[in-house]
This record gives sequence, C-alpha cells and structure tokens, in this order.
Amino acid sequence: MDDSSLFPVTVVGSWPRPPWLIQALRKRQAGESSFKEFNTVADDAVLASVKQQEDAGVDIVSDGEQRRDNFYSFVVEKLDGIKLMTVAQLLDFVKDRASFEESLRALDVPAFAMKSPVAIGQVHARDSLALDELKFLKEHTDRQTKIPLPGPYMLTRSSWFPGLSDKAYPEIEDLGREVSGILRREVLALKDAGADFVQFDEPVLSQVVYGAEGAETFMCAALASRKDPTQELSYALELMNRTVQGISGIKLGVHVCRGNWSRREDVLLKGNYGPLLPYLTEMKVDQLVLEFATPRAGELEVFKEYGDEKEIGLGVVNPRSSEVESSDLIEKRVIDATKLFDPSKIYLNPDCGFGTFAERPVNDATTASAKLRSISTAAKRLRQGIPIAA
Amino acid sequence: MQEVQGKLLNGLEASKLDQFVQDLKTKPDVAKAVNGPWRSRVEWQGGLKAKGYMRNHVASFDEPEGLGATDSAASAHEHILSAVGACMMTGFIFQATRKGIKIHNCEIALEGTFGNILNWAGLSDEDTPGYPEIKAKMYVKADATPETLEKIWNEAWKRSVVTQTVAREVKVTPSFEAL
Ligand SMILES: [Zn+2]
Repeated sequence: MDDSSLFPVTVVGSWPRPPWLIQALRKRQAGESSFKEFNTVADDAVLASVKQQEDAGVDIVSDGEQRRDNFYSFVVEKLDGIKLMTVAQLLDFVKDRASFEESLRALDVPAFAMKSPVAIGQVHARDSLALDELKFLKEHTDRQTKIPLPGPYMLTRSSWFPGLSDKAYPEIEDLGREVSGILRREVLALKDAGADFVQFDEPVLSQVVYGAEGAETFMCAALASRKDPTQELSYALELMNRTVQGISGIKLGVHVCRGNWSRREDVLLKGNYGPLLPYLTEMKVDQLVLEFATPRAGELEVFKEYGDEKEIGLGVVNPRSSEVESSDLIEKRVIDATKLFDPSKIYLNPDCGFGTFAERPVNDATTASAKLRSISTAAKRLRQGIPIAA
Repeated sequence: MQEVQGKLLNGLEASKLDQFVQDLKTKPDVAKAVNGPWRSRVEWQGGLKAKGYMRNHVASFDEPEGLGATDSAASAHEHILSAVGACMMTGFIFQATRKGIKIHNCEIALEGTFGNILNWAGLSDEDTPGYPEIKAKMYVKADATPETLEKIWNEAWKRSVVTQTVAREVKVTPSFEAL
C-alpha cells in the first residue's frame, strides 16, 4: 500500500522553553511585565518551536505552548474570577492536609512552588483562551495546527476549592457548567478561526484511577477532594460531552497520560487504559491521544473491543528519555498497533509534551527534535508500503 | 547592610532589628531578660489531650487515634518538629533581613523517626524513644545568591535556640509532687 495521508505525525503540545523565555516568564510572574510584553518575547520562542517541528517532519504542529506556564494554569491570564494560588496558600483550606504532605514529600517540593488555578469568584472569559495562539501560529506555518486546551474535568476539578470557590459556585457541578460553557465557546471560536485539531488534556483521569493514596502525582491540588473513581470518570464524561456536543468541522481529541513531570519512571503512575476506556470511548471526540511508549501505559490488548471506535494518537516515543528511539522500533510499534486499530485511524505522536511545565521540561529541544524526526522517518517508510499486519 | 528607617522588609522593620541587636550588645539587663526563664504550663484535658499555656498563648496537644486518643491536635513529638523548624526560620529571616535580603518564600520540611517506640512503651531498653535524627530541609526563594542564602541558613540552624536544645541533649530536670 502507498498512501501519503496515512500516519500523520503530530505532537501532544509542549516544547522545551529557551532560557530567555523562562526569564521573561519569571518577570511576568513577579508582576514586573505585562502579559503583552511577555508575549512579544514568546513570539520568537513560538517561531523557533514551530521551525523545529516543521524541520522534523511534523504534519500537525502546535505552538509549543510557549506562551503558557503549564498546560492548565495559563488560563488565569485569560479568565476573570480564577486566580493562581500556591499549595502553601491552600493549606488552610485543605481538608486532607496529610495526603498533601505525602505528595509534597514524594516530589521533594515546597508547597509555595506548587500552583493551582482556583475559582475565587464568578469565572468569565476576559479573553479567548487560545485564539491569540492560533492566529499567530497560522500566520507562521502552512502545516495543519493543533491547539491543546485544558480538559473540562481537569479545569473544574483543579479550580473548585471548598472555602474559596463555593460562594460563587456552591457545588463543583455549578463551576463545571461554567467551565464547559467557556471551553465550548472556545472550541467554536478556534474552529471559525481555522484550527484543524483541538486536543483536551485530561491527564488527571489516570490519577483518578491509578493515583494510590500517598503516591499521588499531585497534578492539581484539589484532587484531594475527589470522590470514588467511577463517579469521577462519569463526571468527566458528562463534562466533556456537554462541552463538545454537536460540534463538527474540527478534529477533537482527548489526551490522557500518567504524569509527565519527572524523568524517573518509577515515580510516575502506571496501569493500562482498561478502566478508562468505557468512558473515553463514550466521549464525543474523534481521537484519543494516548501514551504507549513505556511499559507503564500497560498492554495494548485492552483496546481489543474498542479498536475501531476512535482515531488513536499513538504515543510512540518517550518524551522524557535521552536516548532517541530508532525509526525501526517506532515502525514496529505502529505495526503492532495496526493489529488492533484501522491504519487509517492511526496518528503518531510522542507520549506527551516535551515541556509540560515551563520550569521543569522533561527534555531538551535537540533530543525532542531527534525523536520527532525518528517518528516522521518511520511514518514515511510505513506510508511507502511496509506490509501492514492484516 | 541596607538601612531603611521605618521601612518594612520581609514584614519587619530593619531599624528595630538593629536596635534590638544593639541593646543585646550594650544592655546586660536586656540580654538577661531575653535569656529567660521561658515557661510553659501543661494542663491535662482528659484522654491524652493536653494544653500548653505559654504567657498569653495556648497550644493544644493530642495523640493519633492509634493510641486510643482522639487526634484532635498534633502530638508533642510533632510540635517539637514544628518548633525546631520555626526557630530555624526565625533565625534565618532575622539574619537575612539584617542583610537587606528580600525573601519571597520560605518553607522548612521536617521529619523524624523514633529510635524505638518499644522503649517508650517500656517494653525495651534498647535505642532511644526519641528521634535520633531530625531532618530539616529549607526551601527559599529570595533576592540573593544561593551561596549567600545557604550561608545564612547554616548560621540560622547552628545558632537556633530550639535546634541546639534538642541537638545538645539538654539536661531535663524533672521533679515531682503528687497531690
Ligand atoms: Zn500527557
């Protein structure tokens, strides 16, 4: 077979920030510069990130999330009524402080360095969340574009804090309705502006299932108040579908991984997608962007009965390692996947971003480029007719 | 050193700190008064609960539920970790402020593991019932080089009243009277 449209290569979103961008970000966070001033610096970083993705043969590029502090807390620059608070500030409001302490110890981080957006009043969109990012990106690339957005569940779960949020939103569900409305309007605006692919990041879903007590990855502070996993997953599903119901004309995806804040595999969550799949496949999105490149992601076989329901964004490289996966290895991973998924529905991407948190990238740009190049080499060969398992 | 009359740095008035140090240096009665004695009166509250009254302040104590207690407050061996940390922090902030360094965030994570809980329970004479070691890690974000900050930190814990009390095997003088 020979089909040039097979196996599009894309990214999950983030790219390591250059040191001068980190400097500008720190200035911004200290209140010493405006978001606009910061963005002028970030423009150059976006251009560099896009160039590197293009050079590496990426078909659907992102802006590298260079304007964001991380994949969800950046919303405080765009929304009113939501404020970035440190865990130190939240300690007085947390019910289960002991579990917070466990997480801080496990990560060896001070509470003042961990931040979470918290709803402290009525949340309004002051600005579009990512329209500025898309416009700039489209002005500077001919490739297709992907815009990652925080998923409605993660944003709701991390932002609703008893004692701080309940004046404006008595129940978490009240905030959930607001958040899904904001994200829905965002998707529609991005679609009108010509975005090709919007990806919702919902990494905390794996924490809901696999975040054992005392071993939490601590992605967002408010998870301490979560209910039982089934209830949480049903709620995540409900929020997602309320957000995207009936939207067409733009590719929608959801990304789930098991943490991307450390290069130590042993501290990240592990477990297969089995418990999540009944919920993920009910989400009215086109694609599941998932990690598969490490043993932590579990066996592919759990997809057996779900294989043809959705497109799959197949994680084929580990974003956190120094060694670059060979294109042979990647090819083999893709061929394995074709035993379960329709080849026309397989997209290729790394397991996660290369710089989820601005100050703690999991890789350098050179290695990240090499990994993407390896993926696109594999994709090219696969398109030229390497026999696909029947 | 940066003299800022009446201006706040780290929530403190630098001139007052200087005055305090000056008084310690030149007025023996001030030093004597600051030396103490310091006092606490601990009242039993039923169960394993207690309250410590210190001047016009009060702190509550209890034990975790494992002991059949009600876990309504931190236990004494936890309070001492906080006391060590708070004392280290006092010294650190004091010294840094005197040097004109603006502190953005400061946090100390402390941890201790009993030598042998069986000793506490009277089931063994081995080892110590206390913490053979207290780990204290300071995290700080401030307008100074890491080297400068670490130097102040080392001064702070080495000169910390509570740290040196627990580190020096203080002579505790127990006495007793039944009523
Ligand atoms: Zn991820």
